Amino acid sequence: MKTVFTFSLMTLRMLARRRTLWGILIVIFLALVGISSVPSFDVGNQGRFILDFGLFGIEVGALLLALGLASNLYPRDRETRSLMPLLAVPLARWQYLLGRFFGAALVQAAALIVTCLGLMLILLFHELPIPADLLPATLLIIVEGWFLLSTVFFFSFIASPPLNWPLTTMLFVVSQMSVSEFVGIMPSAPGFMRFVRLLLPHADVFHIKDPIAHGFEIEPVYFIIAIFYGLCYAAFMLSLALALFRGRDIK
Amino acid sequence: MRWTFATGTIIPVFALLVLSACSTDYDVTEVAPAEHLVTDEHAGHDHAPGEPCYETDIESEQPLTGEETTSIDEEREAAHAGHAHDEGDRNHGTQWFFNQPWAAPFIWGKLVRDSLVFLALAVGIFFATRKRSKR
Repeated sequence: MKTVFTFSLMTLRMLARRRTLWGILIVIFLALVGISSVPSFDVGNQGRFILDFGLFGIEVGALLLALGLASNLYPRDRETRSLMPLLAVPLARWQYLLGRFFGAALVQAAALIVTCLGLMLILLFHELPIPADLLPATLLIIVEGWFLLSTVFFFSFIASPPLNWPLTTMLFVVSQMSVSEFVGIMPSAPGFMRFVRLLLPHADVFHIKDPIAHGFEIEPVYFIIAIFYGLCYAAFMLSLALALFRGRDIK
Repeated sequence: MRWTFATGTIIPVFALLVLSACSTDYDVTEVAPAEHLVTDEHAGHDHAPGEPCYETDIESEQPLTGEETTSIDEEREAAHAGHAHDEGDRNHGTQWFFNQPWAAPFIWGKLVRDSLVFLALAVGIFFATRKRSKR
């Protein structure tokens, strides 16, 4: 695991130098500032409005970060021919994949925590209270971001980066749908649609912005279950990506 | 047998997912106990025939004159202004809010079950594809 750790730090340093990360962060901050400047015409609801849309903005930011950070990693390594020397001696394929994933996951988590702090600053600026569950809510979005990251890695082995973006975005949208909503896309084949839905994650597990905005308390055990679910699904997607990568002839 | 993506990954994944333990969907409205679902929006209050329901915005089907409409608007504003529920009671039209996973503890066990299935699949796929790994 020391090899994976070292390689993930190399990935982290490489990603931190890229302008993509900083560009996406600026976009998220601009969106948060824009959201906070929209009046809700009701002093009591302004906090709810900022929290609700702010957390949604951070969630979309997690999607952008996953795509911006990871969609180009493997294709670029292959294109620049830096993949072959890496796999020739120091790294096994699973170590390469995990190193790249952990490096990108750390950068993504740090970026999302920074955006959460930005949301807190905006709430303070408007003299609104900061809910205690805001950080745990961000933690769930980070886990959702890691799932998206693993999905991006999976698609990067079967599709080019320009195709990776719409595929991952489509999966992101579809995974927000309930079973009945998903079956409603093709009501003529309910059995088939339910079967396909089984393979997709339930992204609503990570959504707790509504209870936070309305002052509901969430049981701590739910956070543990949701995080466990997200990590297991990310591991599943990574294993599929690894299966593809191991079957790939790299020359 | 030569390992391919189809034989080594897709078939075991599909086989595991169609096992009876995994095939139960957990769309909250489908698996929720009766006490979780509040379907009767008129519960707790009665109306005279033709009287609009101020709390659910369901209006009578009888045509209204201009004066009646104004009167009903005023009454509606008054009803909303004094609209209150006992602590812990759900407001009308908020079933969607309580159909989210955080508010439905009866699906948490299913979430754990699915997590374990996906984890087992991940470990299985990792070891199943290990032998043919290329450096």
